[in-house]
Amino acid sequence: MSLSVAYNIINSAFLSTAAQSAVISSNIANASTPGYSREIANVLTNSYGGSDVASVTREASRALLEQVNASTSQAASEQALATGLATLAQTVSDSASSASASGSTQNGDSPSAMLANLQSALTTYEASPSDASAAQAVVTAASNLTASLNSGAATVQQVREQADSDMASSVSTVNSLLNQFSQVDATIVSGLATGANVSGAEDTRDSILTQLSQQIGISTTANANGSTSIYTDSGVTLYQNGLASTLSFTPTPTLTAGASGAAVTVDGVPITGASAPMAIQSGALAGLANLRDTVAPQYQAQLDQIAGGLVNAFAETDQSTTAPGLPPLPGLFTYPGATGLPATTAMTGLANVIEVNANVDPSQGGNLDLLRDGGISDPGNPAYTYNASGSASYTGRIQQMIGAITATQPFDPSAGLGSSDNLGDYSNASVSWLQGQNQQASNQVDYQNSLVAQATAALSNATGVNLDTEMTNMLNIENSYTTTAKLLTTVNDMFTALINAT
Amino acid sequence: MTAAFVSTSYLGTALLPSIGQAQTALANLEVEESTGQYADLGLQLGDQSGYELSLKNQTELLQTLTSGNNLVTTNLTTSQDALNSLLTDAQNAVQGLTAWSSAGTTSDATLQNLGVNALQSLIATTNTTSNGQYVFGGVNSGVAPMADYFSSTPSAAKTAIDAAFQTAFGCLPTDAAASTITAPQMQTFLSGPFAAQFSGANWTSNWSSASSVDASDQIAPGETIDTSTNANQPGFQQLAEGYAMLAEFGGSQLSSAAQQAVAAAATPLITQGLNSMTATEAGVGASLQRVTEANSSMSSQMTILQTQIGNLDNVNAQAAAVQLNTLSTQLQTAYELTAQLQRLSLAQYLPVS
Repeated sequence: MSLSVAYNIINSAFLSTAAQSAVISSNIANASTPGYSREIANVLTNSYGGSDVASVTREASRALLEQVNASTSQAASEQALATGLATLAQTVSDSASSASASGSTQNGDSPSAMLANLQSALTTYEASPSDASAAQAVVTAASNLTASLNSGAATVQQVREQADSDMASSVSTVNSLLNQFSQVDATIVSGLATGANVSGAEDTRDSILTQLSQQIGISTTANANGSTSIYTDSGVTLYQNGLASTLSFTPTPTLTAGASGAAVTVDGVPITGASAPMAIQSGALAGLANLRDTVAPQYQAQLDQIAGGLVNAFAETDQSTTAPGLPPLPGLFTYPGATGLPATTAMTGLANVIEVNANVDPSQGGNLDLLRDGGISDPGNPAYTYNASGSASYTGRIQQMIGAITATQPFDPSAGLGSSDNLGDYSNASVSWLQGQNQQASNQVDYQNSLVAQATAALSNATGVNLDTEMTNMLNIENSYTTTAKLLTTVNDMFTALINAT
Repeated sequence: MTAAFVSTSYLGTALLPSIGQAQTALANLEVEESTGQYADLGLQLGDQSGYELSLKNQTELLQTLTSGNNLVTTNLTTSQDALNSLLTDAQNAVQGLTAWSSAGTTSDATLQNLGVNALQSLIATTNTTSNGQYVFGGVNSGVAPMADYFSSTPSAAKTAIDAAFQTAFGCLPTDAAASTITAPQMQTFLSGPFAAQFSGANWTSNWSSASSVDASDQIAPGETIDTSTNANQPGFQQLAEGYAMLAEFGGSQLSSAAQQAVAAAATPLITQGLNSMTATEAGVGASLQRVTEANSSMSSQMTILQTQIGNLDNVNAQAAAVQLNTLSTQLQTAYELTAQLQRLSLAQYLPVS
């Protein structure tokens, strides 16, 4: 051993403290960067007794990251559904201002509340059937009911169209993220092969995965060369060995009742929709597809059933005492192009177009008395006239109409609310269904968000930076630097003494 | 990973979600405190929304029925008053007839005046309206049930009676030739052709425009009652017959014996009418009673419904207040902790060199 070896050791110590300081600085600088994984300088003793920073390790936790991504996907899927349901629920919202203490019963604008208003208006009209203003109130209530159904159906369409356009932007986000991912992944693979520090690239890659999981549920596997493969949560390959798949989707700008939007496909394989063999389970894309293809159409079907049920319940029948053979026709409620009554299975889109018959609406040139006397379907045809004598206090037809609201009638069970019920209960059940879905989605969002928060906290604690730890390390390094500098001076003094002695 | 390790970024943001949650809950609680109801009923009730809506709809229907019943009550009370006045008139007529019979004077127009006044009063009362509708019109309430018998253009009823008299005796009651009619002849006429004027098709075409079908109305869910009576009831026919008899033949050229026969025929008719009217009035009274009972039963139903709605919609004010306090304490603690944690950095405690 010689003093010059001491010089070399001192030099390596300086280099090593500098490298460690760089790592600590990087950690401190990124203390608040989301997704940053702290780095650790691995210091080793070198061949001549000095110290070297042999490598820098990135403190990563794959399992925790997967957990964050999975819960993020679930939360995004529920959030997409909940947003759509909240918009739909607005149409049946029960205004909180209807203080029940005062007995006020303003139940918002749901078809159910409007139907109850119509029943009330008919009941008032029944008490004074010769009162034109009571008749007008019935027509107004009927118009409000059709308006409520029309706007409910329009909201369904709007929600579906919005979901469709959100799916389009989600697909383009996924494609752009996959593209970025393939570049970053390639950088990491080549960096690892050449021994470069790829910590930054790995951070970027993890952050892309988290962003990706917002849009689509994913699972990943790590390959031996450091590359990561991505699959959807249903198993469709999104990225493998440097090859990124492309998601394709054709937006449908107008989604009328009964029309279905296009599915999202990966290399020709559909990953959304009922027919998809490997449908994705989570992520915003899954939530939006569920909203567009299942939930909103089901509510549309319920509205259509209510609309069709109204047309049928208020239909007028042939009143001829001898040989009544004419078919029943739509009365107070009808729809454009109606030639008869709709079958329960052929009511698609009826909620969008149901209207109050113009023959009874004075603002459209109709006659209010037809409400009491019958003949709304075909004015002037005595076969459909109930009050042939035109008596001012005839209430038979009005009582029939009130009875029709509470009479059991058939419904299409595919709308999900049973196959027979009365109109009032059916429309109440529809509100229950919608609010139930809304409540469930909202609870799920809260739950999933708290899972995301927990997983993120766990990940942050496992891989994040603690400033106090870094500071302590910094002090250590400072001390070691000071000591090394002192050592250098001492060795230098020794050399000087040696030189002066000779 | 060491269990004791906490990242600085987590330390700084750990309380943020709970602060956000507390603030949202606080905003909701404020709404709930001020309205006494859940901030978002739909979200709170979920599946029960439809049930709550049906309770509210039922309440609304009961309220509508109750206010509609006011109208029914008015109509029925008006009918009752009218029937009462008809009863009084009939009683007066019977008394007048008794007085006339015991007085024994036959020449003056007492009997005729009695009949004319009673008939006019009967027609006017039968045409009583309530809210613009004729209460004795049955369902045909838009048309006056009885036309004016004494109008300047002879009414259908009078024309028909004159024609019947002409057919039976070959002259009018006001003609001098009528004085030859005997009491038995008069009795035969009164119980035959004259009586026929007040029943069947003659009644509905000459006397009454009312419908025999009474107006009906739902006064409570599932309870429909007749809310009017009609001028085709036997009481109206009997009174009209009795009064018309007196009005037409009381002061005419008829002999004293024939007039006695008229009075003798009119008295039981009016008495019968009196009884029939009493029965009709009892029916109206019973309907009124049913309306009152329906109203009180609906009122108690509404109270029950309101309680049920309240159970679903209303927040417990005390609980909300306590929760409000707890939340604001929690928020304050969270703020304080966040501030303290921000100060908790090693850098603050290192000597500046």
